[in-house]
This record gives sequence, structure tokens and C-alpha cells, in this order.
Amino acid sequence: MNSQGTSLRAYVLTRLALAIPTVLILLTMVFGLMRVAPGDPISAALGGRVPPEELEQRREAAGLDEPLIKQYFQYLGNALTLDLGTTINDDRKVTSIIVENGSATLELTMAAFALALVVGISIGLLAGYYRDTWIDLSGRMFGIVIYAAPVFFTGYLAQLLFAGELGWLPSSGRASPIVEFELDQVTHFYLIDTLITGNWDAFWDVLQHLILPAVTLGLLISGVLIRLVRVNLLQTMRGDYVEAARARGIPERQVVIQHAFRNAMVPVVTVAGLQFAILLGGAVLTEQTFNWPGIGAELVRYLNERDYIAVQGIITIFALAVVVVSLVIDLINAFIDPRVRY
Amino acid sequence: MRTPRILKPFAQATGMPRTLLYSGVIIVLFFVILAIFAPWIAPYGFDQVSADGVRFPKQGAPDSAHLFGTTVQSTDVLSRVVWGSRTAIEVVVLALIFSLTIGVPLGLISGYVGGKLDRTLVLIMDALFAFPYLLLAIVIAFLLSDKLGQGVVTAALAITAVYIPQYYRVVRNHVISVREESYVEAARALGAKRMTIIRRYVLQNVIQNVPAIATLNAADAILTLAALGFLGYGIQPTEAAEWGYDLNRAIDDAGAGIWWTGLWPGLAIVLLVTGFTLVGEGLNDVLNPVIRARRLRKPKMDEAEVEAEEEPSHA
Amino acid sequence: MRGRRIALAAIAATSLSLGATACGGDDEGGSSSSGEADTLIQGTTDQPVSYDPAGSYDLPSSNIIFNVYQNLLQVPPGGNAPEPEAAEECDFTDDSGTTFECTLKEGLKFSDGTDLTSEDVKVSFDRNLAIADPQGASSLYLNIKSVETPDDQTVVFNLKAPDATWPFVLTSSGAAIVPAESDPDKVIPSDQVIGSGRYMVAEYEPGQQTVLEANPEYTGDDAAQIDRVIIQYYEKSSTLKQAVEQGEVELAYQSLSPTDVEDLESQDGLSVIKGPGSAIRYLNFNEDLQEGSDEQKLAVRQAVAQVIDRESIADNVYNGTALPLYSMVPAQVKFHTESFADEYGETPDVDAATQTLEDAGVETPVPLEIWWTPTHYGPASGDEYAEIQHQLEESGLFEVTLESTEWNQYSEAAFTDKYPAFQLGWFPDYPDADNYASTFYATTSFLNIHYSNPEMDDLLAEEKASTDEGVREEAFAKIQELGAKEAPMVPYIELSQVAVAVDGVTGVEDTLDPSYIFRYWLVSKD
Repeated sequence: MNSQGTSLRAYVLTRLALAIPTVLILLTMVFGLMRVAPGDPISAALGGRVPPEELEQRREAAGLDEPLIKQYFQYLGNALTLDLGTTINDDRKVTSIIVENGSATLELTMAAFALALVVGISIGLLAGYYRDTWIDLSGRMFGIVIYAAPVFFTGYLAQLLFAGELGWLPSSGRASPIVEFELDQVTHFYLIDTLITGNWDAFWDVLQHLILPAVTLGLLISGVLIRLVRVNLLQTMRGDYVEAARARGIPERQVVIQHAFRNAMVPVVTVAGLQFAILLGGAVLTEQTFNWPGIGAELVRYLNERDYIAVQGIITIFALAVVVVSLVIDLINAFIDPRVRY
Repeated sequence: MRTPRILKPFAQATGMPRTLLYSGVIIVLFFVILAIFAPWIAPYGFDQVSADGVRFPKQGAPDSAHLFGTTVQSTDVLSRVVWGSRTAIEVVVLALIFSLTIGVPLGLISGYVGGKLDRTLVLIMDALFAFPYLLLAIVIAFLLSDKLGQGVVTAALAITAVYIPQYYRVVRNHVISVREESYVEAARALGAKRMTIIRRYVLQNVIQNVPAIATLNAADAILTLAALGFLGYGIQPTEAAEWGYDLNRAIDDAGAGIWWTGLWPGLAIVLLVTGFTLVGEGLNDVLNPVIRARRLRKPKMDEAEVEAEEEPSHA
Repeated sequence: MRGRRIALAAIAATSLSLGATACGGDDEGGSSSSGEADTLIQGTTDQPVSYDPAGSYDLPSSNIIFNVYQNLLQVPPGGNAPEPEAAEECDFTDDSGTTFECTLKEGLKFSDGTDLTSEDVKVSFDRNLAIADPQGASSLYLNIKSVETPDDQTVVFNLKAPDATWPFVLTSSGAAIVPAESDPDKVIPSDQVIGSGRYMVAEYEPGQQTVLEANPEYTGDDAAQIDRVIIQYYEKSSTLKQAVEQGEVELAYQSLSPTDVEDLESQDGLSVIKGPGSAIRYLNFNEDLQEGSDEQKLAVRQAVAQVIDRESIADNVYNGTALPLYSMVPAQVKFHTESFADEYGETPDVDAATQTLEDAGVETPVPLEIWWTPTHYGPASGDEYAEIQHQLEESGLFEVTLESTEWNQYSEAAFTDKYPAFQLGWFPDYPDADNYASTFYATTSFLNIHYSNPEMDDLLAEEKASTDEGVREEAFAKIQELGAKEAPMVPYIELSQVAVAVDGVTGVEDTLDPSYIFRYWLVSKD
């Protein structure tokens, strides 16, 4: 127990220490990318529209006349204290973009992820359990094809069918305009906001809006999970303890359900968490397709407007999120599965 | 005659992996043929809007003159799908060449030399790998488009940046395990030059893992290209036909019940990506039946050895 | 209580309309969505920049500004001359046309209950000029020497130069009256603006919605008929179109793609309302970046003007929601002439173009690099330029390379000598021909395409300084003729305004006029 405690602490410390250079590298990358961009942020957004003197003034105010190295450290400092500046074009605090639009993205991705887990795990287990049968083949093919279909194509088909042809579900947005207006935004998660105010009709409206985008994105991720679960189950079923259980004469079905399934899930759940990056990328496209006011849609909008401060801020947050999520998952993993620590 | 190493998996494949592998190869070949012979297969040019002085209908439904219908710009959908496969294959090939020529040598050197260089590179590549790949591609495509314009090369470079870390990791991990193999030790003991060892022994051995990753990455490359096109950071519509861009335009048609402008380019993407994935999965199954699909994994150093183990094929 | 009731009604309506669309989208699909008679839900793809008159210059912002503030003068619906709004009366008080005096109406109040006085008017202009926001329109008011307020009800504008268009200038959105207490050096956040107009901004969430509510303090004519307007933003024309089909919005305005408009026209329960537009599209040539001698540059421009098939662009790209345009001054604006048709004929003439190029000794095919932007002029821009490319290349006289980039970069590069030829569009600050003439043809034009002709500058000064209709008409005729001959820019289409309303929404047709102001106060619901 004691030695385990020590090794756990050692692992956590090492893992934390490793996260630091990763954060630094990512932030450096973001800073570098934004400086490679043609022109500085201020002239890119405002050039040609303000007199040169004012441009100069604004650049000075933004600290852009400082030496690059100073700007770099300034940026690092700001990023680490989550002071991400204010957008050039519409004077919004980047942190408020993250709260308002980030919550939309989180709501979408969490719903999608929940769906992906259910679909992915069940199909993956089935495919693995019935290895090399038609069930396996169709399960795998489903996974491959659903992953091969870009979200904007799946979304387009879903919109054509469920919003256009059948008219069952709204095709875009996060809520009906009037619900959007009436809604008290407490948590910025609409499902929760409508629940805590007990407004069931609004809840239903929000839920309806969530279905198409969440299913589209969720199916994509389920494609990834199917493979993962299947392969893991196959690996576990060849494991010693499963063999041992078999040898003890325990019925195959019970072996699989009691031993293999459970053990196959441990790596799956942790690795699944690492689909975060794919999820974020997919969310950009899903948001674009379904007019979902998330942070990915905002990123694209600000990129189009060349608002580099906004772009830099949003990417910085993405980078930090990726590091934090993988850190948290590794730590959880370490608690669950002692083998990881060595 | 001995089967060339790279074709070995095809000969070894049986059962389901064989089915996957072969159907994948057929699909990919189909698109490669479309790509190469596009000028002969496509009924019209990708931006042609009239033939013999007669203008094509705008958003015309599929009929005998235009099997897949026409777009909002009066171009022929079938022709655009065919020419689109040329664009897709071009970008994939370029992206593969770029990322192989950078990723593989980096991995080889880093893995073989080890030490500080190795540790630094691993950190950088891991960081790159962790970053949401689509965002990286978007930002790079966006930045490059100012310097290189929005063409095939820009798209390929944006995709390359995403995949270098993957090749790097696989190759490096493999090299680390191969480095300790007895025949490499022997060569070193015999006084072979470092570069010779890397080239003759390590590279030879490592290279056979590349096709599986390359095909899986090719699938992802097609998706990334389409996503770039969909978001408007891809290839200029006047430079080449590109499926993602066509889908983007088709979404505007969808509401008006015009399904043919989006369905075909969309299906083309799905089919080609499926083809590449099948080949990749098939190769994986054959080379290493318990290997986890590469791109799904988080890089973790201690897994290098597991992965590098070459198990005999289970049929 | 009230909020809750509205929400319920809307939900009921949504599910009802969903049911209705499911059985084939009959006429219930539209009208059932009406929520409550006192709320109008509009959808649009146009996002505003700022609701502070000092901070914006764009159509969606101006639209809200016209509904939230008052100007001294306004262009009445369907009219083409300024009339008093906040002013009781306005006029030039000297012969030289440099002193312009307005008397305010009695009893005007801002929505926060404070009185509107001449001081507020003065501050509005001073502040706009002082802030000089890059996104704003302060350049329109540079002719102001000073603004005086002899008493609470009187405002006097002292102008630097005689300006017959000054009454028109006072109708532009940047001339809206803000309270004197407004932050003197910063643009006010859009959800905190205060005006004296028919509506107030109740809520603004960028990218999502703007909510307007009727201003209880408004005392003028034509008060709002609908208590609340919700403006919902959509990314794409296609989603906006689906929203109006499903009854999620009751009014769709700016900008549905031509395809969507055509499809909506055939649907029950909706009406497509088209109004004359004064938004134009034109192709500019930067003379410094053109190749060859001055004569050859001119020949190339003329040949382009001769080869472009305007009818085909209007019909094939815009499905008839645009009209061919033969002058920089659109047809609905007073003093318009068909100068390009007079000069080059109404239909394309490849032979004449060939001759023009040959006479100037220009080698064909002429390489042309043309720039356009996909992010500012609506979803059909790409199609528009693909079409122009086809037309130019089909003539055999040109070899076109199309280039595009997003708007922010585009607008910088286009005006700083980076693009030899480029697409632009224009909608008026005020519906006077001057806004389509001196803006483009003056040596000092913002276009910076190095077109300069002293004769043109003289004509422009003449029309600007004169209040005599006859003098102005003659000057504008000459300006348009000269503009067509020298073709520094080639106009090709003007766009109609299109709004789609579900049945039961009335009054939309009254506001679709060349002024491009969407007046919510004219709209009502049965």
C-alpha cells in the first residue's frame, strides 16, 4: 500500500512535470503561427481602413512595437493567466467568447460523446464477440463507413431527410428564436438552463435542436470507438486470466461478460477520452453545418475576419484544453489501473 | 521469385482481412483510374458550362445529357466528381510524399541517435499530435494561402503538417526496437557506418510498417482536404474541382430539393475514404492481428515495443 | 408572466408547424408560427458591426440604427428626397449653400426619458468625427466646419464647402442623434445604445440575435405596430430558408440565394416580396496596375465593357433577382441614364471589342487578373465571377485568372494597389445620384484606382454645389457619359431587394425601396 502510494505520487508528479513542456511547446507554436501570418494583427484587421498614424498608435497600444521576445513572454504570461485580450473587430473579451460559445460547444460535444459511447461500445463489443462473422464484418463496416463520411455530408443528408423531407426536426440553431430570447442564461448550457427554470416546453425545443447535430457528430466518433472496443476485446479475450477462467470450465458467455468485457473497457474509456482532439475538429465542422453557435464556428468567423487576437485566443484555449484533458485522463487512468504507473 | 516485402501482406492475407484488403484495393484503384484518365472519362471539363454553343441548364436534374445533373454554375456534376478524384489523389500523393520525406528521416535519426535530440523531438511531435488536427490544417492552409495561393500544393502542405508527427512516431518507435536487434548489433560490431546501418538494416525493416499507416493517413487526408474545401480554405474553385467545396455549395441547393449536386461528391468522398481505410485495416490485420488502429492511439512511449513486435499472422 | 406565455405560444407553434410541414408543408406551416401578434421574428444572414451610429457603416447596422434613432431628416418610404424627422424644418440659410439650419420638433424624448435637444445633435456629429472609427462613416461628415446650437431647438451646420447633398447626408445612419451624455471617445456597446426612435435595443447577442422593443417614449408619426422584433442570425442562406419554411422565422430578409428565392416562390403560406434595389455590382480597374500605354489600358477596359453579358449574369446567376445595369447610378435613382448601353450597345459586341483592341494595338488574348471576395457580397459572388470569366474567355479576347480572398484582407488590398481588377458592390448611404458618382469618379475616390479626369472633377463639383434640378440633371448626364467612355469601372448588375414573409405579415412591400432601409414600424401582423 505504502509503496503503491509513493509510486502513484511519483507518477502524478512526473505526469504534471511532463505537461509543462507540452503546454510551452503548444503555446510557442500558436505564437509562432500567428506571427508567421501576413502583417500584424492590427493591420490585418484594420489596414486600409484607418489612417497610418492611427494604425501605428493602435499597434503601440497593443504592444506590437515591442521586441518579439518580449511579446512572446507577454503572450505566455497572458495565456497562463487566461488573459486572452479583446477581439479587434467587435470588441468582445475572448474569455467571454469562451464562456458563451464554449458552453454551446461543450453541450454539443458532450451529447455527441454520450451517444458515441453507447453506439460505439455496443457495436464494438458485438463485433469483437462475434469475431470473423457477418456481425463482425457489418459492425466494422459500419464503423469504417461512418468514419469515412465527413460530418458535413452526414449532416447534409440528415438535414435533407429529417428537416427538409420529413420536417420532424429543426435544421439549425440551438433553440427557436423566441426560446433563445426568453431563456435565462444561468449556466449557458441550454438543457440545464431550461431544466432549472422548469420550462419544459423550452427544454423540448432545445432538445429538438440538439438532436441532429449531436447524432451526426456522435456517429462519427462512434466509428472510432467501434474499432477501439473491438480490438481491445479481442486482446483481452486472449489474455491469461480469460484463458484461466475458460480452463476452470466457466461457460464462454460468462467468461466474456464477466471478465473480458469489463477489462476491455478500462483502456477504452481512457483512450476514448483522448478522442477529444478529433471531437474538437469535428465540432468545428458540425457547428458550421448546423449553424450551431459554438466556439468552432466563432473561430472560423474570426479567421475570416482576420481577427488574429480572437483566433490566437481561441486556439490557445484549445491547446490548453487538450493538455488538461489528456492530463486528467492519464491521472484517472493511473488511479484505475496500477500498471500504467510503471 | 521472392515476393517483394511490400507486397507480402497481400499474399499472406486470408479470411476477413483478405476481403477487407482486396475490396479496399479495388475501390482505391477505381479512383486512381478516374484520376489518371479524367480527361477521357469525364464528359466535360470541370468548369465547362456549355458545349457546342449550347449552355448547360442551371441546376438541371439528372438526365441523359448530364447523368448526375448540373450545378448552380451550370457545370456538369459527373465531370466535377471525376475531376475531383484527380484533385484528391494529387493532394494525397503530394501530402504523402511531403510527410514521408520529412517524417521518416526525422523518426529514423531521432530513434537511432537518441539522447537529447530524441527527447526534444518527441516532446514537439507529441504536442503537435495532441493538437486538434483539423484546426492545425485550417490555420496552416489559411496562412499559406497568402503566399502560395489556394491550390493543390497549399492543401497538401497543410495536410502534411498534420501527419508528420504520426510517421515520426511510428518510425522512431520501431527504430528503437530494431536498434537493439542482434543483426544490427552485429553490423555495428563489424564497424559498419552509422548511415549504412540506418539505411540498410533499420530502414529496410521499418519501412514495411509504413504502408498501413500511409493508407490510413491517406483516408484522413481526403477527409481533411474535403473539410478545408467545405470551410473555404481549400482549393480555389476555378483551379480544380474539389468535392468538399462542391458539397459546401450543394448545401445551399439542398433546401430547394436539389439533391444531386451534393449527393455525388459526398458519396465519392465516403467511398474513397472507405477504400483507403479498408486497405489500411486489412494491412493492419495481416501484419499484426492485435495491433490497435494507429491513428486512434495516443502516443505513449512504453507502447513502442508492443507495437514493434511482429507477430505471425493469425488467420 | 408575460415572457412565459410567449415562450409557450412559440413552442406550441413550433411543434404545430413541424407537424404541418411533415404533411407536405401546407399553408398552416407559415401562419401557425406567429407566436404572438405583438412579436415579429425575422431571420437574416447579415451580421451588424455596431449599433452606435459612430461605429458602423454597414447595411445590417444601419437598418437597426434607423429603427432605434431619429435623424434630423429622413427619406420617407418610397420617396427620393429628404423630409423632416426629428426636425420641424431644415434649410440652407445663406446663398452660398454653406449654412444649414434645422429647428427641432417639440417634446422629443430618448427612450430613457430624457429630452432631445440641439445639444444632443451637436454632440452626435462632433462625437462621430472625433471617434472616427474605422468601421464608421465619419468621412461622410468631413464637410462640417462647426455645429452651433443657438438655443435648445435650433442647430446650425457651418459647412466648409457648398454642398447640395447635405440634406441627404443628414439622412445617413451615421447622422442619427445620440444622447449628449454618450461616451465622447468610444463606440458604445450595441446592447447599451439609447435613441429616440421607434424601437429600443432590448438585447444583442452577436451571432445569435438582436431583440428590439417598441420605445414607449416615442412621440412621432408612424409609431411601431409590433411591440417586439426578434432578429435571428443565420450563417447561410440555406438555413435561413429552412427556418422560414418551418415557420421558425416569419420574415427572411438579406440574403437568400437566388436558388432559395426561386424555390420559395412556389410555396404556399409564404410570399416572396421583391422591391427595387439600389445595390450595384461593378468591376474596377486599377490604372496603375494595368499593362500597356494609356490608350491600350483604355481599350482593354472598353473591350471588357463591350463583352460582358449583363443579361446573362442577371438571369443565369441571379435567376432574375437582379437587373442588368448600364450606369454606376442605378435605375431607381434620380438622374440615371443608360450611358453604357448608349456607348457600347445593350448586348455584348465581340466584334466591336476586337476592333477596339486592335485599334489600340493590344495583343490578344489579353491576360486579366480579376479579384473577387466570397465573404462580403452574398453566396452568389463565386458564380457571378465564374460567369464573367466564361464570358470574357469565350470571346477569345481575354485570358482570365480569378483570384479571391476574404473580405478584410480584400478590402485592404483592393484599395492599396494590389489588385489590377476587382469586384465591388455598393449600396447607398443616401439615395442621391451623387452617392453613386463622386464616390467613385472623383480623383479622391476611396477606390484608389488612379482614375483622374479634371473634367470629371469639375462636373462633380458642379452637381454637388447646385440645388438646381436642371443643372444637376445635365451634370449627371455628362458624368455618366464620360464614365462610360473611360470605363474606370464597369457596372453590370443591380440587385433587387427580396424579403420572404409568412402569410399574415403585412407591410413589408412598403419598406422595400431604393433607400435600403428596413422600417420595422411599417410591418404588422394580422
